[in-house]
Amino acid sequence: MDISSIILPLVEITLAGAIINASVHFVPVGGAPAAMATSTGVGTGTTQLAAGAGFTGLLAAAGMAAQPGIMISNPVHALLIMLSGAVGAMIMLGLTMLIGQLIYVYGVGIVPAADKCDVDPITKDPQSAFITPGTTGHGIPTVCFVSGLIGAALGGIGGGMAYVGLLGLGFTIPAIAGVLAIGFFFMNAVLASYNIGGTIEGFHDPKFKKMPNGVIASTVSSLVAAIILIGMSMGL
Amino acid sequence: MSHGGGGHAAELFPETQVLGIGLVLSLVGMYIANFLPEYAMLIGGALTVPACVAGANTTRKVAAYGLGTGVPSIGMVSLGMGTLSALAAVYLPVAFGIDSMATPIIAVIVSLAIGAIVGKLTQNPVGMKVPIIVSSMIKLSLMGALSILGFCTAFAGGFSANVFIPGAIETGMIGLAFIAAGIAILHPFNACLGPNESHRRTMYLAIACGLLAWLVFAISKLDAISTVISAVLWVATYAMFVKMSLNDASDVLYTPELPKKEE
Repeated sequence: MDISSIILPLVEITLAGAIINASVHFVPVGGAPAAMATSTGVGTGTTQLAAGAGFTGLLAAAGMAAQPGIMISNPVHALLIMLSGAVGAMIMLGLTMLIGQLIYVYGVGIVPAADKCDVDPITKDPQSAFITPGTTGHGIPTVCFVSGLIGAALGGIGGGMAYVGLLGLGFTIPAIAGVLAIGFFFMNAVLASYNIGGTIEGFHDPKFKKMPNGVIASTVSSLVAAIILIGMSMGL
Repeated sequence: MSHGGGGHAAELFPETQVLGIGLVLSLVGMYIANFLPEYAMLIGGALTVPACVAGANTTRKVAAYGLGTGVPSIGMVSLGMGTLSALAAVYLPVAFGIDSMATPIIAVIVSLAIGAIVGKLTQNPVGMKVPIIVSSMIKLSLMGALSILGFCTAFAGGFSANVFIPGAIETGMIGLAFIAAGIAILHPFNACLGPNESHRRTMYLAIACGLLAWLVFAISKLDAISTVISAVLWVATYAMFVKMSLNDASDVLYTPELPKKEE
Protein backbone atom coordinates (compact mmCIF):
# COMPACT_ATOMS: atom_id res chain seq x y z
CA MET A 1 0.00 0.00 0.00
CA ASP A 2 1.55 3.32 -1.06
CA ILE A 3 1.59 6.40 1.12
CA SER A 4 -0.92 8.46 -0.92
CA SER A 5 -3.61 5.80 -0.57
CA ILE A 6 -3.20 6.12 3.22
CA ILE A 7 -2.99 9.90 3.51
CA LEU A 8 -6.20 10.63 1.57
CA PRO A 9 -8.47 8.36 3.67
CA LEU A 10 -6.74 9.61 6.85
CA VAL A 11 -7.57 13.20 5.93
CA GLU A 12 -11.10 12.25 4.83
CA ILE A 13 -11.92 10.37 8.04
CA THR A 14 -10.43 13.04 10.32
CA LEU A 15 -12.23 15.81 8.44
CA ALA A 16 -15.46 13.76 8.47
CA GLY A 17 -15.32 13.56 12.29
CA ALA A 18 -14.87 17.32 12.55
CA ILE A 19 -17.76 17.97 10.12
CA ILE A 20 -20.07 15.53 11.93
CA ASN A 21 -19.31 17.29 15.22
CA ALA A 22 -19.94 20.74 13.71
CA SER A 23 -23.18 19.54 12.11
CA VAL A 24 -24.67 18.46 15.44
CA HIS A 25 -24.36 22.04 16.77
CA PHE A 26 -26.74 23.28 14.05
CA VAL A 27 -29.56 20.85 14.86
CA PRO A 28 -32.26 22.41 17.09
CA VAL A 29 -32.90 20.02 19.99
CA GLY A 30 -34.86 20.70 23.12
CA GLY A 31 -35.08 17.27 24.70
CA ALA A 32 -37.93 16.52 27.12
CA PRO A 33 -38.88 20.23 27.63
CA ALA A 34 -39.37 20.59 23.86
CA ALA A 35 -41.60 17.51 23.90
CA MET A 36 -43.80 19.43 26.38
CA ALA A 37 -43.51 22.54 24.14
CA THR A 38 -41.80 24.57 26.88
CA SER A 39 -38.55 24.96 24.95
CA THR A 40 -37.56 25.42 21.32
CA GLY A 41 -36.54 22.51 19.12
CA VAL A 42 -37.33 18.87 18.44
CA GLY A 43 -38.37 16.87 21.51
CA THR A 44 -35.54 14.33 21.61
CA GLY A 45 -31.88 14.04 22.54
CA THR A 46 -29.15 15.56 20.40
CA THR A 47 -27.47 12.22 19.85
CA GLN A 48 -30.63 10.49 18.69
CA LEU A 49 -31.58 13.21 16.22
CA ALA A 50 -28.06 13.61 14.86
CA ALA A 51 -27.74 9.84 14.59
CA GLY A 52 -31.07 9.59 12.75
CA ALA A 53 -30.04 12.22 10.22
CA GLY A 54 -26.54 10.76 9.97
CA PHE A 55 -27.70 7.20 9.34
CA THR A 56 -30.19 8.28 6.68
CA GLY A 57 -27.35 10.20 5.07
CA LEU A 58 -25.10 7.19 5.38
CA LEU A 59 -27.69 4.93 3.75
CA ALA A 60 -28.21 7.44 0.93
CA ALA A 61 -24.43 7.65 0.47
CA ALA A 62 -24.12 3.86 0.49
CA GLY A 63 -26.95 3.60 -2.04
CA MET A 64 -25.17 6.04 -4.33
CA ALA A 65 -21.82 4.28 -3.83
CA ALA A 66 -23.39 0.97 -4.85
CA GLN A 67 -24.65 2.36 -8.18
CA PRO A 68 -22.95 0.75 -11.17
CA GLY A 69 -20.22 2.93 -12.66
CA ILE A 70 -19.48 4.85 -9.46
CA MET A 71 -15.74 4.80 -8.74
CA ILE A 72 -14.46 5.88 -5.33
CA SER A 73 -11.15 7.00 -6.88
CA ASN A 74 -12.95 9.57 -9.04
CA PRO A 75 -13.27 12.83 -7.01
CA VAL A 76 -16.50 13.83 -8.79
CA HIS A 77 -18.07 10.50 -7.90
CA ALA A 78 -16.87 10.83 -4.30
CA LEU A 79 -18.48 14.28 -4.20
CA LEU A 80 -21.72 12.80 -5.59
CA ILE A 81 -21.72 10.20 -2.80
CA MET A 82 -21.29 12.90 -0.16
CA LEU A 83 -23.99 15.10 -1.70
CA SER A 84 -26.48 12.24 -1.85
CA GLY A 85 -25.68 11.66 1.83
CA ALA A 86 -26.42 15.33 2.50
CA VAL A 87 -29.75 15.16 0.64
CA GLY A 88 -30.77 11.98 2.51
CA ALA A 89 -30.01 13.53 5.88
CA MET A 90 -31.78 16.78 4.97
CA ILE A 91 -34.94 14.91 3.94
CA MET A 92 -34.96 12.98 7.21
CA LEU A 93 -34.41 15.98 9.46
CA GLY A 94 -36.64 18.26 7.39
CA LEU A 95 -39.54 15.80 7.68
CA THR A 96 -38.93 15.28 11.41
CA MET A 97 -39.01 19.03 12.01
CA LEU A 98 -42.05 19.51 9.75
CA ILE A 99 -44.12 16.82 11.49
CA GLY A 100 -42.92 18.05 14.88
CA GLN A 101 -43.98 21.56 13.90
CA LEU A 102 -47.44 20.38 12.79
CA ILE A 103 -47.89 18.71 16.20
CA TYR A 104 -46.65 21.81 18.02
CA VAL A 105 -48.84 24.27 16.13
CA TYR A 106 -52.03 22.29 15.49
CA GLY A 107 -51.81 19.74 18.31
CA VAL A 108 -50.40 21.71 21.22
CA GLY A 109 -51.55 25.08 19.90
CA ILE A 110 -48.41 27.13 20.33
CA VAL A 111 -46.72 29.84 18.28
CA PRO A 112 -43.18 28.88 17.19
CA ALA A 113 -40.91 31.37 18.96
CA ALA A 114 -37.18 31.31 19.68
CA ASP A 115 -35.95 32.31 23.12
CA LYS A 116 -32.29 32.99 22.41
CA CYS A 117 -32.92 35.94 20.04
CA ASP A 118 -35.35 38.88 20.17
CA VAL A 119 -35.76 39.02 16.39
CA ASP A 120 -35.66 35.98 14.10
CA PRO A 121 -32.43 36.51 12.12
CA ILE A 122 -34.04 35.24 8.90
CA THR A 123 -37.61 36.52 8.88
CA LYS A 124 -36.94 39.53 11.16
CA ASP A 125 -40.10 38.65 13.09
CA PRO A 126 -40.10 39.66 16.76
CA GLN A 127 -39.83 36.59 18.98
CA SER A 128 -40.03 37.62 22.62
CA ALA A 129 -43.61 38.91 22.31
CA PHE A 130 -44.83 35.40 21.49
CA ILE A 131 -42.98 33.45 24.17
CA THR A 132 -45.30 32.03 26.80
CA PRO A 133 -44.21 33.16 30.29
CA GLY A 134 -42.44 30.39 32.16
CA THR A 135 -41.14 28.72 29.00
CA THR A 136 -37.91 29.13 27.06
CA GLY A 137 -39.57 29.40 23.68
CA HIS A 138 -41.52 26.75 21.79
CA GLY A 139 -41.96 25.10 18.42
CA ILE A 140 -39.37 25.27 15.66
CA PRO A 141 -39.10 28.87 14.38
CA THR A 142 -37.77 29.60 10.89
CA VAL A 143 -34.21 30.24 12.05
CA CYS A 144 -34.12 26.87 13.85
CA PHE A 145 -35.59 25.05 10.85
CA VAL A 146 -33.01 26.53 8.47
CA SER A 147 -30.22 25.85 10.95
CA GLY A 148 -31.41 22.24 11.27
CA LEU A 149 -31.34 21.78 7.51
CA ILE A 150 -27.77 23.16 7.36
CA GLY A 151 -26.80 20.78 10.17
CA ALA A 152 -28.38 17.79 8.43
CA ALA A 153 -26.56 18.65 5.18
CA LEU A 154 -23.24 18.86 7.01
CA GLY A 155 -23.96 15.62 8.90
CA GLY A 156 -24.79 13.82 5.66
CA ILE A 157 -21.63 15.14 4.01
CA GLY A 158 -19.59 14.06 7.07
CA GLY A 159 -21.14 10.61 7.19
CA GLY A 160 -20.70 10.22 3.44
CA MET A 161 -17.09 11.37 3.66
CA ALA A 162 -16.35 8.82 6.39
CA TYR A 163 -17.96 6.14 4.21
CA VAL A 164 -15.91 7.22 1.17
CA GLY A 165 -12.75 7.19 3.32
CA LEU A 166 -13.52 3.67 4.54
CA LEU A 167 -14.21 2.44 1.01
CA GLY A 168 -10.96 4.09 -0.07
CA LEU A 169 -9.12 2.15 2.63
CA GLY A 170 -10.44 -1.04 1.10
CA PHE A 171 -13.42 -1.84 3.35
CA THR A 172 -15.36 -2.63 0.20
CA ILE A 173 -17.97 -4.89 1.83
CA PRO A 174 -20.75 -2.35 2.57
CA ALA A 175 -21.65 -4.14 5.84
CA ILE A 176 -18.19 -3.52 7.32
CA ALA A 177 -17.86 0.05 6.04
CA GLY A 178 -21.39 0.79 7.26
CA VAL A 179 -20.90 -0.63 10.76
CA LEU A 180 -17.58 1.16 11.16
CA ALA A 181 -19.09 4.43 9.92
CA ILE A 182 -21.97 4.07 12.41
CA GLY A 183 -19.63 3.49 15.35
CA PHE A 184 -17.53 6.42 14.21
CA PHE A 185 -20.59 8.63 13.75
CA PHE A 186 -21.93 7.90 17.24
CA MET A 187 -18.59 8.71 18.86
CA ASN A 188 -18.47 12.15 17.23
CA ALA A 189 -22.18 12.92 17.65
CA VAL A 190 -21.96 12.21 21.39
CA LEU A 191 -18.79 14.30 21.77
CA ALA A 192 -20.73 17.15 20.16
CA SER A 193 -23.76 16.67 22.38
CA TYR A 194 -21.54 16.74 25.48
CA ASN A 195 -20.17 20.05 24.20
CA ILE A 196 -23.72 21.40 23.90
CA GLY A 197 -24.94 19.82 27.14
CA GLY A 198 -28.70 19.62 26.64
CA THR A 199 -30.58 22.09 24.46
CA ILE A 200 -29.50 24.18 21.49
CA GLU A 201 -31.61 26.25 19.11
CA GLY A 202 -29.14 26.40 16.22
CA PHE A 203 -26.57 28.84 14.95
CA HIS A 204 -28.10 31.83 16.78
CA ASP A 205 -27.85 30.04 20.14
CA PRO A 206 -25.18 31.40 22.53
CA LYS A 207 -23.98 27.81 23.04
CA PHE A 208 -23.04 27.72 19.37
CA LYS A 209 -19.91 29.68 20.31
CA LYS A 210 -18.65 26.53 22.08
CA MET A 211 -18.51 24.71 18.73
CA PRO A 212 -14.69 25.03 18.24
CA ASN A 213 -14.11 23.00 21.44
CA GLY A 214 -16.23 20.15 20.14
CA VAL A 215 -14.67 20.28 16.68
CA ILE A 216 -11.15 20.10 18.16
CA ALA A 217 -12.18 17.12 20.33
CA SER A 218 -13.68 15.32 17.33
CA THR A 219 -10.68 16.05 15.12
CA VAL A 220 -8.34 14.45 17.68
CA SER A 221 -10.57 11.44 18.34
CA SER A 222 -11.24 10.93 14.61
CA LEU A 223 -7.50 11.06 13.89
CA VAL A 224 -6.97 8.29 16.47
CA ALA A 225 -9.85 6.29 14.98
CA ALA A 226 -8.46 6.85 11.46
CA ILE A 227 -5.03 5.54 12.51
CA ILE A 228 -6.64 2.41 13.99
CA LEU A 229 -8.76 1.98 10.83
CA ILE A 230 -5.65 2.25 8.64
CA GLY A 231 -3.98 -0.41 10.78
CA MET A 232 -7.05 -2.61 10.32
CA SER A 233 -7.11 -2.02 6.55
CA MET A 234 -3.60 -3.47 6.24
CA GLY A 235 -5.09 -6.88 6.96
CA LEU A 236 -7.54 -6.71 4.07
CA MET B 1 -29.52 21.37 32.69
CA SER B 2 -29.32 17.73 33.55
CA HIS B 3 -31.66 14.98 32.53
CA GLY B 4 -29.96 12.13 34.31
CA GLY B 5 -29.30 13.61 37.74
CA GLY B 6 -30.73 11.26 40.29
CA GLY B 7 -28.08 11.66 42.96
CA HIS B 8 -26.21 8.75 44.39
CA ALA B 9 -28.08 5.93 46.03
CA ALA B 10 -26.06 3.61 48.26
CA GLU B 11 -23.68 1.39 46.31
CA LEU B 12 -24.23 -2.22 47.26
CA PHE B 13 -21.76 -3.88 44.92
CA PRO B 14 -18.28 -2.31 44.49
CA GLU B 15 -17.76 -1.15 40.89
CA THR B 16 -14.31 -2.73 40.50
CA GLN B 17 -15.70 -6.11 41.60
CA VAL B 18 -18.55 -5.97 39.05
CA LEU B 19 -16.12 -4.85 36.33
CA GLY B 20 -13.63 -7.58 37.21
CA ILE B 21 -16.31 -10.27 37.05
CA GLY B 22 -17.61 -8.87 33.74
CA LEU B 23 -14.13 -8.71 32.22
CA VAL B 24 -12.98 -12.19 33.29
CA LEU B 25 -16.23 -14.02 32.51
CA SER B 26 -16.68 -12.44 29.07
CA LEU B 27 -13.06 -13.23 28.12
CA VAL B 28 -13.50 -16.83 29.29
CA GLY B 29 -16.78 -16.99 27.34
CA MET B 30 -15.11 -15.81 24.12
CA TYR B 31 -12.32 -18.39 24.35
CA ILE B 32 -14.80 -21.20 25.10
CA ALA B 33 -16.94 -20.05 22.16
CA ASN B 34 -13.87 -20.08 19.93
CA PHE B 35 -12.67 -23.55 20.94
CA LEU B 36 -16.06 -25.25 21.32
CA PRO B 37 -18.18 -23.71 18.53
CA GLU B 38 -21.04 -26.15 19.23
CA TYR B 39 -21.47 -24.58 22.69
CA ALA B 40 -20.69 -21.04 21.49
CA MET B 41 -24.14 -19.57 22.00
CA LEU B 42 -24.85 -21.43 25.22
CA ILE B 43 -21.64 -20.58 27.08
CA GLY B 44 -20.30 -17.62 25.11
CA GLY B 45 -23.67 -15.89 25.07
CA ALA B 46 -24.30 -16.51 28.76
CA LEU B 47 -20.88 -15.24 29.76
CA THR B 48 -21.31 -12.02 27.74
CA VAL B 49 -24.23 -11.06 30.00
CA PRO B 50 -21.85 -10.07 32.87
CA ALA B 51 -20.07 -7.63 30.50
CA CYS B 52 -23.40 -5.93 29.74
CA VAL B 53 -24.21 -5.82 33.47
CA ALA B 54 -20.80 -4.27 34.24
CA GLY B 55 -21.38 -1.67 31.52
CA ALA B 56 -24.82 -0.88 32.96
CA ASN B 57 -23.28 -0.55 36.43
CA THR B 58 -20.74 2.00 35.20
CA THR B 59 -23.49 3.85 33.30
CA ARG B 60 -25.39 4.08 36.57
CA LYS B 61 -22.39 5.52 38.36
CA VAL B 62 -21.42 8.14 35.78
CA ALA B 63 -24.94 9.13 34.70
CA ALA B 64 -25.94 9.87 38.30
CA TYR B 65 -23.77 13.00 38.01
CA GLY B 66 -26.10 14.40 35.36
CA LEU B 67 -24.56 14.37 31.89
CA GLY B 68 -26.74 17.11 30.45
CA THR B 69 -27.69 15.01 27.45
CA GLY B 70 -29.57 12.08 28.92
CA VAL B 71 -28.41 8.62 29.89
CA PRO B 72 -28.71 6.98 26.42
CA SER B 73 -25.91 9.16 25.03
CA ILE B 74 -23.29 7.51 27.24
CA GLY B 75 -24.53 4.08 26.19
CA MET B 76 -24.25 5.06 22.55
CA VAL B 77 -20.72 6.46 22.90
CA SER B 78 -19.81 3.24 24.73
CA LEU B 79 -21.06 1.13 21.83
CA GLY B 80 -19.55 3.48 19.24
CA MET B 81 -16.11 3.07 20.78
CA GLY B 82 -16.84 -0.61 21.37
CA THR B 83 -17.66 -1.30 17.71
CA LEU B 84 -14.42 0.30 16.54
CA SER B 85 -12.41 -1.64 19.15
CA ALA B 86 -14.12 -4.98 18.47
CA LEU B 87 -13.61 -4.69 14.71
CA ALA B 88 -10.04 -3.48 15.21
CA ALA B 89 -9.40 -6.59 17.32
CA VAL B 90 -10.64 -8.80 14.47
CA TYR B 91 -8.66 -7.05 11.71
CA LEU B 92 -5.42 -6.03 13.46
CA PRO B 93 -4.15 -9.63 14.01
CA VAL B 94 -4.48 -10.24 10.25
CA ALA B 95 -2.70 -6.97 9.45
CA PHE B 96 0.26 -7.50 11.76
CA GLY B 97 0.54 -11.27 11.62
CA ILE B 98 -0.47 -11.81 15.25
CA ASP B 99 -2.10 -15.11 16.19
CA SER B 100 -5.89 -14.72 16.18
CA MET B 101 -5.96 -16.09 19.76
CA ALA B 102 -4.94 -12.58 20.85
CA THR B 103 -8.17 -11.03 19.47
CA PRO B 104 -10.01 -10.56 22.81
CA ILE B 105 -6.85 -9.17 24.42
CA ILE B 106 -6.40 -6.69 21.54
CA ALA B 107 -10.06 -5.66 21.97
CA VAL B 108 -9.30 -4.89 25.63
CA ILE B 109 -6.16 -2.89 24.81
CA VAL B 110 -7.67 -0.89 21.91
CA SER B 111 -10.87 -0.12 23.82
CA LEU B 112 -8.88 1.06 26.85
CA ALA B 113 -6.85 3.38 24.60
CA ILE B 114 -9.87 4.80 22.73
CA GLY B 115 -11.80 5.21 26.00
CA ALA B 116 -8.92 7.08 27.60
CA ILE B 117 -8.48 9.44 24.64
CA VAL B 118 -12.21 10.17 24.21
CA GLY B 119 -12.57 10.54 28.00
CA LYS B 120 -9.71 13.07 28.12
CA LEU B 121 -11.29 14.97 25.20
CA THR B 122 -14.66 15.23 26.98
CA GLN B 123 -12.81 16.88 29.87
CA ASN B 124 -10.63 19.18 27.78
CA PRO B 125 -11.55 20.93 25.41
CA VAL B 126 -15.25 19.94 25.74
CA GLY B 127 -15.31 20.69 29.47
CA MET B 128 -17.58 18.05 31.02
CA LYS B 129 -17.78 18.68 34.75
CA VAL B 130 -18.02 15.03 35.81
CA PRO B 131 -15.05 14.03 38.00
CA ILE B 132 -15.11 10.34 37.04
CA ILE B 133 -15.67 10.87 33.31
CA VAL B 134 -12.24 9.63 32.12
CA SER B 135 -12.24 6.40 34.13
CA SER B 136 -15.91 5.81 33.27
CA MET B 137 -15.31 6.30 29.54
CA ILE B 138 -12.47 3.76 29.72
CA LYS B 139 -14.69 1.22 31.51
CA LEU B 140 -17.66 1.82 29.19
CA SER B 141 -15.52 1.52 26.07
CA LEU B 142 -14.10 -1.75 27.42
CA MET B 143 -17.51 -3.21 28.27
CA GLY B 144 -19.01 -2.03 24.97
CA ALA B 145 -16.22 -3.77 23.05
CA LEU B 146 -16.50 -6.96 25.12
CA SER B 147 -20.28 -7.20 24.77
CA ILE B 148 -20.19 -6.66 20.99
CA LEU B 149 -17.29 -9.06 20.49
CA GLY B 150 -18.83 -11.54 22.94
CA PHE B 151 -22.27 -11.75 21.32
CA CYS B 152 -20.82 -11.74 17.80
CA THR B 153 -18.29 -14.46 18.68
CA ALA B 154 -21.08 -16.52 20.23
CA PHE B 155 -23.11 -16.12 17.06
CA ALA B 156 -20.29 -16.74 14.59
CA GLY B 157 -18.67 -19.51 16.65
CA GLY B 158 -15.22 -17.94 16.80
CA PHE B 159 -13.33 -14.66 16.71
CA SER B 160 -10.71 -15.27 14.03
CA ALA B 161 -11.26 -13.06 10.98
CA ASN B 162 -12.16 -15.92 8.62
CA VAL B 163 -15.00 -17.03 10.95
CA PHE B 164 -16.06 -13.67 12.40
CA ILE B 165 -16.40 -11.66 9.17
CA PRO B 166 -18.72 -14.02 7.25
CA GLY B 167 -20.49 -15.18 10.44
CA ALA B 168 -21.19 -11.94 12.28
CA ILE B 169 -20.46 -8.95 10.04
CA GLU B 170 -21.74 -9.94 6.61
CA THR B 171 -24.88 -11.39 8.18
CA GLY B 172 -25.51 -8.01 9.84
CA MET B 173 -25.41 -9.53 13.32
CA ILE B 174 -22.98 -6.84 14.48
CA GLY B 175 -25.77 -4.31 13.98
CA LEU B 176 -27.98 -6.37 16.27
CA ALA B 177 -25.13 -6.60 18.80
CA PHE B 178 -24.76 -2.83 18.61
CA ILE B 179 -28.36 -2.13 19.50
CA ALA B 180 -29.14 -5.12 21.77
CA ALA B 181 -26.00 -4.71 23.86
CA GLY B 182 -26.51 -0.94 23.74
CA ILE B 183 -29.97 -1.26 25.27
CA ALA B 184 -28.63 -3.66 27.91
CA ILE B 185 -26.00 -1.06 28.89
CA LEU B 186 -28.01 2.18 28.72
CA HIS B 187 -31.55 1.09 29.60
CA PRO B 188 -31.31 -0.14 33.24
CA PHE B 189 -30.30 3.16 34.82
CA ASN B 190 -32.38 5.17 32.36
CA ALA B 191 -35.45 3.23 33.48
CA CYS B 192 -34.70 3.18 37.21
CA LEU B 193 -33.20 6.64 37.84
CA GLY B 194 -35.00 8.98 40.16
CA PRO B 195 -35.19 9.78 43.85
CA ASN B 196 -35.92 6.19 44.91
CA GLU B 197 -33.29 4.48 42.75
CA SER B 198 -31.78 1.41 44.40
CA HIS B 199 -28.64 -0.32 43.22
CA ARG B 200 -30.10 -3.79 43.69
CA ARG B 201 -33.15 -3.04 41.55
CA THR B 202 -31.10 -1.42 38.77
CA MET B 203 -28.75 -4.40 38.75
CA TYR B 204 -31.66 -6.83 38.49
CA LEU B 205 -32.92 -4.93 35.46
CA ALA B 206 -29.39 -4.93 34.02
CA ILE B 207 -29.20 -8.72 34.36
CA ALA B 208 -32.67 -9.05 32.81
CA CYS B 209 -31.64 -6.80 29.87
CA GLY B 210 -28.40 -8.74 29.37
CA LEU B 211 -30.34 -12.02 29.35
CA LEU B 212 -32.83 -10.52 26.91
CA ALA B 213 -29.97 -9.60 24.56
CA TRP B 214 -28.70 -13.20 24.86
CA LEU B 215 -32.23 -14.48 24.14
CA VAL B 216 -32.41 -12.37 20.97
CA PHE B 217 -29.11 -13.85 19.78
CA ALA B 218 -30.12 -17.39 20.72
CA ILE B 219 -33.32 -17.01 18.69
CA SER B 220 -31.42 -15.57 15.70
CA LYS B 221 -29.05 -18.54 15.78
CA LEU B 222 -32.02 -20.97 16.14
CA ASP B 223 -30.22 -22.50 19.13
CA ALA B 224 -33.05 -24.27 20.98
CA ILE B 225 -31.21 -25.02 24.26
CA SER B 226 -29.85 -21.47 24.63
CA THR B 227 -33.25 -20.01 23.73
CA VAL B 228 -35.04 -22.02 26.41
CA ILE B 229 -32.42 -21.37 29.10
CA SER B 230 -32.12 -17.65 28.37
CA ALA B 231 -35.90 -17.24 28.15
CA VAL B 232 -36.45 -18.98 31.51
CA LEU B 233 -33.69 -16.94 33.18
CA TRP B 234 -34.96 -13.72 31.63
CA VAL B 235 -38.55 -14.30 32.75
CA ALA B 236 -37.31 -15.18 36.26
CA THR B 237 -35.09 -12.08 36.65
CA TYR B 238 -37.62 -9.77 35.05
CA ALA B 239 -40.40 -11.08 37.30
CA MET B 240 -38.09 -10.50 40.26
CA PHE B 241 -37.44 -6.94 39.05
CA VAL B 242 -41.16 -6.21 38.74
CA LYS B 243 -41.74 -7.63 42.22
CA MET B 244 -38.97 -5.41 43.63
CA SER B 245 -40.39 -2.36 41.87
CA LEU B 246 -43.84 -3.03 43.34
CA ASN B 247 -42.31 -3.49 46.80
CA ASP B 248 -40.28 -0.28 46.53
CA ALA B 249 -43.21 1.80 45.28
CA SER B 250 -45.02 3.79 47.97
CA ASP B 251 -48.33 2.61 46.57
CA VAL B 252 -49.59 0.83 43.47
CA LEU B 253 -52.92 2.02 42.16
CA TYR B 254 -54.72 0.48 39.23
CA THR B 255 -57.15 2.49 37.16
CA PRO B 256 -60.62 1.24 38.05
CA GLU B 257 -63.00 0.18 35.31
CA LEU B 258 -65.31 2.97 34.25
CA PRO B 259 -68.90 2.46 35.36
CA LYS B 260 -71.11 1.20 32.50
CA LYS B 261 -73.73 3.92 33.01
CA GLU B 262 -74.28 6.66 35.51
CA GLU B 263 -75.97 5.44 38.64
